[in-house]
Amino acid sequence: MGKMTKKRDRLEVIFDFLRIIQDNQNSIKRTPLLRRTNLSSQSFSEYFDELLKKDFIREIHNNKGRRYITLTDRGFRFLSKFKMIRGFIEEFEL
Amino acid sequence: MVNITPQFPQPFLPIGFGLELFYTIIIVVFCFLVYFKTREIYELTKHRGVEFFRYAFLFFGLAYASRLLIYMAVVGNLLWFEPFRGTRLMLPVSHLVMAYFSTTAILFLTYSTIWKKFSIEHFLMFSSIISLFVSVIAFISMSPLTVSLIQLVLLAVTLIFSLKVKTNKRNHMRALYFLIAMFWLLSLFVIDSPRHMPFWGDVTLQAISLIVFFAIVYKVYKWAK
Repeated sequence: MGKMTKKRDRLEVIFDFLRIIQDNQNSIKRTPLLRRTNLSSQSFSEYFDELLKKDFIREIHNNKGRRYITLTDRGFRFLSKFKMIRGFIEEFEL
Repeated sequence: MVNITPQFPQPFLPIGFGLELFYTIIIVVFCFLVYFKTREIYELTKHRGVEFFRYAFLFFGLAYASRLLIYMAVVGNLLWFEPFRGTRLMLPVSHLVMAYFSTTAILFLTYSTIWKKFSIEHFLMFSSIISLFVSVIAFISMSPLTVSLIQLVLLAVTLIFSLKVKTNKRNHMRALYFLIAMFWLLSLFVIDSPRHMPFWGDVTLQAISLIVFFAIVYKVYKWAK
């Protein structure tokens, strides 16, 4: 993912967050995800907790006990509908 | 001897009542379509603007439905109609409910477009207090005109805030929102002073109002297929 120069809004951050996981064969560790989202540790934790709570992502453990982050069905649905959601919010000036 | 038979001091036009019934049903259906069709977008994003937008249409739908009850009582002179005859409170309560739903709808619709710039922490409580205040006045006065004048002032105040927020000049959505609120205020005027509104004027108003609501529904369907 290229370096982001423009300030992203909340929806764009969530979209980027989920897309990084998807682009990584739907399995990524927390540290590389933090690096690639280009967020501060505090912001990352806030988004991470929010997405876990909203059931967009989940944490799984492999047989070596390492933690990976993957998308849920809801996370995939958000990604597929993002363009429509963004268009809707812009069109209705919300 | 007291005359207890229903009186008809003004001509009751069945065609006018039929049109009003048809108009209300279509508007209520349109409002509910907007509410239900935007459910997925809201559930996926929990976006505050989307939340207030869809609740604004839900409340507009409920306001139009309660307005029909008052129209039946006042314009159709159906005070002998069973729900109104059953209790003396039926008509004032209809005014109260209509005023509460419509004031909330206007406040929510405006706030959905300005919340990013003017974030009010306890907006729900704030809007509930204003709506309760207007509905108590409606309950006491039973005057749609009074309610429409208060809502006109509210609309003017919210419009000032709305003008401070940068708008997308290409799609003119805020103009449509403003028209929706104005048509609501005019519809209150119609049930307050039906004699002052000629039949053709009422029909024209309903037709334009339906076109505006349809434009919103069409745009919602375009995005939330």
